Amino acid sequence: MLNMIPTLLSQATNDPALAAGQPVTPKTFWLPEGASTIAPEIDWIFNFINYINYFFFVLVIGIMLVFMWKYRQRGREVYARGPNHHTMLELGWTIIPTIIVVFIFFIGFKGFIIAKTVPDNAYQIDVTAAKWYWKFKYPNGATSDDLYVPAGRPVKLVMRSEDVLHSFYIRDFRVKQDVVPGRYTSLWFQADNPTEGEDFHHIFCTEFCGTGHSDMNRKVFVLPESDFDSWVVEQGRWLDKVTDKDLWWKAGPQLYRACASCHTLDGSVGTGPSWGNYDGTGDVWERTKAGSTHKIDGGKNLGDIIGSGKEYETPEGYLRESILNPGKHLVDPYGNVMPTFKGQLSDRGIQALIDMMKNLDKFNKDGTVKPDAIPNAGGAAGAAK
Amino acid sequence: MTTLDSRPVATEVKDNYLTFTRGLLSWIFTLDHKRIGVMYLFAVLGSFFVGGVMALLVRTKLLFPGKVEWMTADEYNKAFTLHGAIMVFLVIVPSIPAALGNFILPIMLGAKDVAFPRLNLFSFYLWVVGAICAVYSLMAGGFDTGWTFYTPYSTQYGAGGTIPVLVGVFILGFSSIFTGVNFIVTIHKLRPPGMTWFRMPLFLWALYATAIIQILATPVLGITVALLVIERAFNIGIFDPSMGGDPVLFQHFFWFYSHPAVYIMILPGMGIISELIAVHSHRHIFGYRFIAFSSVAIAIFSFLVWGHHMFTSGQSPLMNVLFSAITFSVAIPSAVKVFNWLATLYKGSIAFNTPMLYALSFMFLFTIGGLTGIPLAVLSTDIHLHDTYFVVAHFHYVMMGSALIAMIGGLHHWWPKMFGVMYNEFWGRIACALVFIGFNMTFFTQFMLGSQGMPRRYYMYQPEFQMYHHISTGGSYIMALGFLITAIYLIHSLFAGKKAPANPWGGASLEWQCTSPPPHDNFSTTPRVGDCYDFSSVRWDEKQQGYVIDTEAHVAAASSGKGH
Repeated sequence: MLNMIPTLLSQATNDPALAAGQPVTPKTFWLPEGASTIAPEIDWIFNFINYINYFFFVLVIGIMLVFMWKYRQRGREVYARGPNHHTMLELGWTIIPTIIVVFIFFIGFKGFIIAKTVPDNAYQIDVTAAKWYWKFKYPNGATSDDLYVPAGRPVKLVMRSEDVLHSFYIRDFRVKQDVVPGRYTSLWFQADNPTEGEDFHHIFCTEFCGTGHSDMNRKVFVLPESDFDSWVVEQGRWLDKVTDKDLWWKAGPQLYRACASCHTLDGSVGTGPSWGNYDGTGDVWERTKAGSTHKIDGGKNLGDIIGSGKEYETPEGYLRESILNPGKHLVDPYGNVMPTFKGQLSDRGIQALIDMMKNLDKFNKDGTVKPDAIPNAGGAAGAAK
Repeated sequence: MTTLDSRPVATEVKDNYLTFTRGLLSWIFTLDHKRIGVMYLFAVLGSFFVGGVMALLVRTKLLFPGKVEWMTADEYNKAFTLHGAIMVFLVIVPSIPAALGNFILPIMLGAKDVAFPRLNLFSFYLWVVGAICAVYSLMAGGFDTGWTFYTPYSTQYGAGGTIPVLVGVFILGFSSIFTGVNFIVTIHKLRPPGMTWFRMPLFLWALYATAIIQILATPVLGITVALLVIERAFNIGIFDPSMGGDPVLFQHFFWFYSHPAVYIMILPGMGIISELIAVHSHRHIFGYRFIAFSSVAIAIFSFLVWGHHMFTSGQSPLMNVLFSAITFSVAIPSAVKVFNWLATLYKGSIAFNTPMLYALSFMFLFTIGGLTGIPLAVLSTDIHLHDTYFVVAHFHYVMMGSALIAMIGGLHHWWPKMFGVMYNEFWGRIACALVFIGFNMTFFTQFMLGSQGMPRRYYMYQPEFQMYHHISTGGSYIMALGFLITAIYLIHSLFAGKKAPANPWGGASLEWQCTSPPPHDNFSTTPRVGDCYDFSSVRWDEKQQGYVIDTEAHVAAASSGKGH
């Protein structure tokens, strides 16, 4: 049986089910609409098994009802004579079901191999599952909360979990795969028909993951391939879409994640100086603005280089230099270890980080914004004014 | 329970097990398998009530697709977890072997007791301690992991009562193991002269096969929950990847027990159905050896198929293929049993007593439960159906519609023997019909819910599913009404039931040859054994309003080979 796998694999890639242009199969009594290229194969097997099941159900229950009527007890006659055994009958109803289930196994096996064989040209999207959301990351670095996929192109999802088991399920595509912490799992599908307008396919989490398990559903939008290409480029430019006044809390913390491994917010020692107050000269914005006694360059104070007529007219100028050209000034006693972010961070990105530094008191120590500091979300709504 | 002693019926018969000794202590320290069986029975039925209330809470919440005021998501998660854990560990696993089996098995063998009466009592008290642990866990914050305790949720998160309930499951496991040991030894050593292996009632074959699984599989459950407790309590990484463990390993361990456990639940039920169908058809069971061997075959195959619970877990595709293939091997012996029961009805004289109505319900429900297992065993369709309501519907058809319905059928079959009273037959039939209709309404709709893609263990759901949930919940209320009526007429029969004859249904196995209820020692002399499915010497006796068996003719027929 095992040496059949390669044969079946090669068949699988040539299977007509994978031909482009599969129409969406409509919802039926048993099954939801089928919107992926493997859905017809799986639906066919499901329906085929159903017909076998209908047959055997009617057979067994039909015979049972006939016997119940025909051989019902009449009066108090008790002893009934009937055959005790019949070897050929016994062998018959052992062997015939065996043949049927072996056949069913093989068609199910073939469908499984098709569903497991990822085409070479699959477009890869990285999926992160966590309590209780999904995060999708595209090859150009763009991210989204709902899944967007190109129509007519195989898509491979490489999935990981940040905490507990989750399971990724798109019922209309007939695909499901557990997402396991500590390992990568994957699945693939190809959807040939773009979703129209507001239409979408459901993503459900199907492995119990706690309080928000049933909230962990998102949408799949299938876009025509050209639309998808421009969508993913647009999505990559997410920073441009954040309004100026929201930069500090929408973009800042996202970008700070790249800084967080070296620069803490709570004043504790990291690879680089903390953004928090660690030497009594205030947090990163306070000490820069004040031109404080914060020691740099082996003896100078910040105050010696920032201020009108000095090297940096504004504190922003010094911070910008420190991000793009980190080796120019070194804070005592830190060495020259920070990589430059020239080319990786736009001016707008730098602005977002500096805006975040200016509002550091509105952030938790893990870099997330305090909920009550978010503008228009109640609480200290004046923060952004 | 002592109130049983005040029944008027019991005073008429001098020496029966209920009146043999009196007082609470005589029950607490009893070594009599019948009293232990009765204590198990009421403990299990009490747990069934609690588990059932949890189920009704869950179903009532699911009337509404969104949040409800009176039940949060966390409370809902605890309710379905509690429902599952109680029903599996406290109800279905012990129900037939420990409650009915304990009572009937030694009598069917013509023995005075099980081989190890003290171990038997000990296993009952282990059950009690396990149940107390479960109750304690509720006070310690409950548990919300699902009855499957999947890691790392159960070790890193999960509510505060997780460790107590795991300790409870560990202890309940030993209760189950001790019952299994006891039954195996009893069947091997205490069969009366003349009762060869192939003269045993099929219920005993089923209990024997069950006991093998209990002994071989349950220790793995014990080890697994012990490892879970160690990880959760001491942060030793076994299953949690953040400490170097592997969560899929837990699933392998868990299902290595819990798949065979499915057969611990269903095999004894199948044994009861073999008895019920033969006795109430007044007709020799068809294909005795095939039914007996199919029980053993199921017990063996049950150890080889656990991976079919894990087709989407991330285990290798090769493993998926092997487990799918082996899984079909379990389908065959199950199908063989159904066909043999059908053939037993052929040319029978079928009396539609309440136990038989339950047996026929079983055939209907088990056929659906078994057939719907096929798309779940098939790899490509299981990917779609796994962890949806389709699975929920399937295993309720097998665990409840089959195992539990068989247990209730057996309870009605042996109730006159256990307590010496007849229940109201009319209400018995009404209740059975309500349970049957309610059950199908509740769970058949869940097949559609599942194949349409509704995941299980969901507090909130898409509004498109609401109609199915309404029918399902309505069905569960009808079923609850059926069980309520059952409880009422059974309890009523204890106080005011008609006195039961020794043999109300016309059975030929040994338990029908002692009085109802049986005397303390079951039989004063070792009974003589015929073919327990040969009903040719059974006659209706108008005076006793019961059946009598001509023992001489019965034994003679067996030894001449005529009965076979």
